[in-house]
Amino acid sequence: MKITIGHLYPDLLNLYGDRGNIQCMKKRCEWRGIESEVREFQLTDDIDFGSLDIVLLGGGSDREQMIVCSRLKAIQKDFRDYVEDNGVVIAVCGGYQLLGHYYDTPEGRIEGLSLVDLCTEQGSPRLISNIVVENDLFEYPVVGFENHGGRTYINENKPFGRVSFGFGNNGGDRQEGVMYKNVIGTYIHGPLLPKNPHVCDLLLRRALERKYGRADLAPLDDSQEREANQYIVNRFVK
Amino acid sequence: MRLRRTAAILAARALSFGCKLAGRQGVTMAGKLALKIDPDILRDLAGQVREKIFVVCGTNGKTTTNNLLCSAVESEGKKLVCNHTGSNMLMGVAASFVLAAKWNGKLDADYACIEIDEASTVRVFPHFKPDYMVLTNLFRDQLDRYGEIDITMKLLDQAMKMAPDMKIIVNGDDALSAYLAMESGNEYVTYGISERVFEEQDSHEIREGRFCKRCGGRLAYDFYHYSQIGVYHCPDCGFARPAIDFDASHIDMKQGLEFEVEGRHIAANYRGFYNIYNILAAYSAARTAGLELKNFNKVLENFNPQNGRNEVFHIQGSKVLLNLAKNPAGFNQNISAVMEDEADKDLIIVINDNAQDGTDISWLWDVDFDRFSAESIRSVTVSGIRCQDMRLRLKYVDISSNLVPDVKTAIEQRLRDGCKNLYVLVNYTALYSTHNILKEMEK
Repeated sequence: MKITIGHLYPDLLNLYGDRGNIQCMKKRCEWRGIESEVREFQLTDDIDFGSLDIVLLGGGSDREQMIVCSRLKAIQKDFRDYVEDNGVVIAVCGGYQLLGHYYDTPEGRIEGLSLVDLCTEQGSPRLISNIVVENDLFEYPVVGFENHGGRTYINENKPFGRVSFGFGNNGGDRQEGVMYKNVIGTYIHGPLLPKNPHVCDLLLRRALERKYGRADLAPLDDSQEREANQYIVNRFVK
Repeated sequence: MRLRRTAAILAARALSFGCKLAGRQGVTMAGKLALKIDPDILRDLAGQVREKIFVVCGTNGKTTTNNLLCSAVESEGKKLVCNHTGSNMLMGVAASFVLAAKWNGKLDADYACIEIDEASTVRVFPHFKPDYMVLTNLFRDQLDRYGEIDITMKLLDQAMKMAPDMKIIVNGDDALSAYLAMESGNEYVTYGISERVFEEQDSHEIREGRFCKRCGGRLAYDFYHYSQIGVYHCPDCGFARPAIDFDASHIDMKQGLEFEVEGRHIAANYRGFYNIYNILAAYSAARTAGLELKNFNKVLENFNPQNGRNEVFHIQGSKVLLNLAKNPAGFNQNISAVMEDEADKDLIIVINDNAQDGTDISWLWDVDFDRFSAESIRSVTVSGIRCQDMRLRLKYVDISSNLVPDVKTAIEQRLRDGCKNLYVLVNYTALYSTHNILKEMEK
């Protein structure tokens, strides 16, 4: 079995330890004897979405997001076909905002990919905090760090989690991130996956199921991951 | 007026003294109090500096560069004001002048050498305009506190425009710093390293500013020294590394650090390639101000700031080296310095997430820790508030580590195990406490 991970624009969208998310997926494949390959795409590269099993879209500064935005129209159709065909996507921070229709900033509107029905407006102050969210899909909470000026509204979509500590999508509705088909969008970096191996395994499982029709993920010793996760929960929630 | 000034100075001194007795660093508080009693005190005292005022800015290397510059200036027989302790925001800067002044408001100083937090420059410059600014580099650092580098650059640009007569001494090998100096309209001189030092070029290191600040095009690099520091140009708009005024050549790191600049041979007994930049920055600044620096090698030989930057302790027959590693660029350079030592060694990494460290520790995943998997590393211990995150970071590059949250216990355990050669790498708020622990154990 093999998983191919497409990392979009790592030169521009690499603000918050996104390498950690890649490293986590690679290692958790390797430890189970699953082959993995990471393909990095630069702004002018053509992307063959048909060859990808997981797409990672990271976060960048507002300026860098503007640069990426200028390129998005060229990949929009292929990316949408991939998502509608249940392709797995993990989009963090700026990448999460780009999934939606637009991100309004005082300098103007950044047009998004419109892959998911959501939109973002810049607010003040920035929402900066450790964060803990819960989702019944997961047996223990998802933890990390958030740092975003944007307030995101996900309309009728399901959130990635309910906020137990921190701000989440907009600091108002206690929702964090979005889940749509096999897409996860979230403001949680830190990075997201190492302290949340259940989220990492969900992405791997869905990618394998889509590709091979089944996914037998052997259990791993996650005691260190869970201790690091538990530390954050104990410190900020309990 | 004079009464108010005296009151401000005496109050600041009393507070600083009281805080020292209480075992705390009272510098910032003292500055705050003095400015409250006498809002003009910093302007007035800085105005009494007889010759020149230097400020040192940049993400990494500020404290070491500024302390080196101080030693260099002092070696020329000059009296100076300096914020040695690294309190580098407005209050800390004010305190360094106030605590150096006599009770009658007189300051006896030829020079001032002041490191300033980049974002604080726009708050300090209304009080005085420096003659020179040294700009060492701009790396990603504590995104939760300082925001993106773009924001820091905007503030520095404002500061440069507030002081149009200030000459900038800039690291020409950093495209971000050089861009700021070149576009500022201020006069500038450059330092850098034009020869290629490292054959291997690690493509995974996170590099800021891969894109031209002037036109947005992708910068082309002839080679990198580390992080984004190197020889670059923009193929699209012609923006390029400026001509280098103080160019270090014949770099030799076999025993300590050696290089040549202006035809002089410079030698220092420290490790770490990045220290060549610190030395070069201090040298270029002092030379630009017209100082001779005849005894510069002597200055380097005697340089021992005892502030946890590359500080060596000898405890029970073991050598312990303490160093600050607070962001990816700094940590990667620290790893290089550790690996330059080929002897067997043990390692303790201390990671805190207090406000001054930055509460966001996601940067740990941008550091190339895999290089610690070498055989000469006998063991790795993780410590500090976020030791669990550090242990996990190492797990994902297949390095197993011992988890010992308490720093003192961690050090004691390693020494008890017969470690002869111990490296302790810490981030900001662990620096002073670890320094004090080691100092105490050395007694």
